[in-house]
Amino acid sequence: MLRFIAADLRRHWIGVAAVALLIALATALGVAVTLSERALRLGSAQAADAFDLVIGAPGSETQLVLSSVFLQAAPLSLMPGDVLAGLSRDKRVAWAAPVGFGDFVENFPIVGTTQALVDGLGGISEGRTFALLGDALIGASVPKSVGARFHPAHGQLHAATEIHNDFTYTIVGRLSPTGTAWDRAIIVPIEAVWHIHKHENGRAGIAALVEEVDAQDGAEPHGFEAPINPDAVLDPSAPGLPAIVVKPHTIADAYKLRQQHRSDRTQAVFPGEVLTRLYGTLGDARRILSVVAAGAQFLVAAAILLVVIVHVLQRRHQIGALRAFGAPRAVVFGIVWVETFVIVGAGVLLGFLFGYLAARTIAHTMGEMSGFSMPVTFRIEDMRSVLILLGVAGLAAVVPSILAYRQSPAQALRN
Amino acid sequence: MLGLSVRDLRVSFRDLEKPALTVPALDIRPGEKVAVTGPSGSGKTTFINIVTGLERTRHGSVRWSDTELSSLSEARRDRWRSAHVGLVMQEFYLCPGLSALENVLLPGRLSRVRPVAELKAEGLRLLERVEIERPGQPVETMSRGQMQRVAVARALVTRPAIIVADEPTASLDADSGIAVANLLLQLAGEAGTTLIVASHEKRLIERLDRIIRLEAGQVTRDTGASQEMAERDEAF
Repeated sequence: MLRFIAADLRRHWIGVAAVALLIALATALGVAVTLSERALRLGSAQAADAFDLVIGAPGSETQLVLSSVFLQAAPLSLMPGDVLAGLSRDKRVAWAAPVGFGDFVENFPIVGTTQALVDGLGGISEGRTFALLGDALIGASVPKSVGARFHPAHGQLHAATEIHNDFTYTIVGRLSPTGTAWDRAIIVPIEAVWHIHKHENGRAGIAALVEEVDAQDGAEPHGFEAPINPDAVLDPSAPGLPAIVVKPHTIADAYKLRQQHRSDRTQAVFPGEVLTRLYGTLGDARRILSVVAAGAQFLVAAAILLVVIVHVLQRRHQIGALRAFGAPRAVVFGIVWVETFVIVGAGVLLGFLFGYLAARTIAHTMGEMSGFSMPVTFRIEDMRSVLILLGVAGLAAVVPSILAYRQSPAQALRN
Repeated sequence: MLGLSVRDLRVSFRDLEKPALTVPALDIRPGEKVAVTGPSGSGKTTFINIVTGLERTRHGSVRWSDTELSSLSEARRDRWRSAHVGLVMQEFYLCPGLSALENVLLPGRLSRVRPVAELKAEGLRLLERVEIERPGQPVETMSRGQMQRVAVARALVTRPAIIVADEPTASLDADSGIAVANLLLQLAGEAGTTLIVASHEKRLIERLDRIIRLEAGQVTRDTGASQEMAERDEAF
């Protein structure tokens, strides 16, 4: 029986391959949607790992998280400089680091911060950490080498409003890979960002604040050769900041700090919590995509059932002859069932492979673009969907099998 | 050895007003070699389908020795046919992609009426008998004459008591037709099986013991009937 099926499949291999491929693509669509959504969820949770508590000026919580954790550029309002100074002195805080952005090199965001965040992200894997204002660290996947120099630009290359030609950073080290958007960031001392932006007339707020600092410190306008002053950020009159990343000692501290910084001057968020809310939305999007995918799968399944039925009808002479020559009805049923199931089953398994590869490709492309890694993984529940799909395939295969079973051999041979 | 006894048979099809076949009484002795002839549409194939159990008998009785076909279910008829009937059709219904030997063994294997080892030995013997030199040759590479000889071997491999052939030579050229006809007669003769051949090939018909001619679903001539009829008339 198996030899007969194998010979039959071999003989119609083009049709068999086309049908299996069609099933594979329909399955892959659904699998890719599920896997990608899960990868995005895992990846973003992973990205938020180092960010227990983020404090910013009042505004959109989501935007604050997207900007600080995922480095999505957006004009955030600034909070006064004394917030960081206060946090740094707080006993409940393990470390607190500023996050200041706005400049780019090519498409890589330049983020101003302090040593605390560099350590919090996992430290340096190559070279040394920054010591001078003009020193820069690059994320693990920035395609530049240690020792290279660059000018920061305000805004991205294709939309740069201004290139700060007067300032030159030197790359002195590379960060360990984090699997987050920070792998594509360039990290510089926050003081350097302040220095550059004091010349900006368009952003009066920060410029004014910087002027104040300069007036107080009497620093050189081009003081990129100067060493970093760790105390600069502790100054209550330091320039304003769009976001501060805080690492509390305990969970209880985290809740107290959040409570304390929910005021008219600042807002405090747990990125994990904000992301959970975002996943809710993502989940809805996935449900819509899943319905679309299921619709596609249903249409493909219907089309394939039709193809298989036409195929069985075309071969009714052969099937009728098998019975005329002595094959029992049950065997005829079995042959058609096994043959259909082999084609559909191969399509389903191939579809899971295709879906996995598609999700991997999507994750890879997203990773290239944002530096943020999306771990594509199979789980037990996927095993269950494989079994359910195979079960459906087995049920669908019954339809042409019954058709063949009910076929009268005399009628089949008559034409 | 099985003999056939048909009584009051009437076969009608839904879309036809007149019955396709009416046979008040017909007997075939075990081991008899019978030709069924007649123009196309005369009921030859219907007759073949009825006596092989491919078609259900709704009116009348079709009895092979102790087996009344009209009382069997479809599945039981299938089983009876695979155990007792070897079929040769005008089209060969060989499975492309399988070798000559695999084709010969396929129905026997699927129905499991004989042990596989026994089937295989008999299959090889029969292929040699029908002059197929390479049992492993794929059937799609064979000539039509060779294919029909493979089909003859397939019909005989389960050692059936009845061989039924429906126009076995009609799709072959003259020489191949003669070869297939010779083989059918020889092998059926050797095994002592009952042979029923539906054909209008004169050279094949003439070599059989008895000729039954059908026209418009009625037996119009039966060279073996005179004696039977006489016996029946005496009984009345």
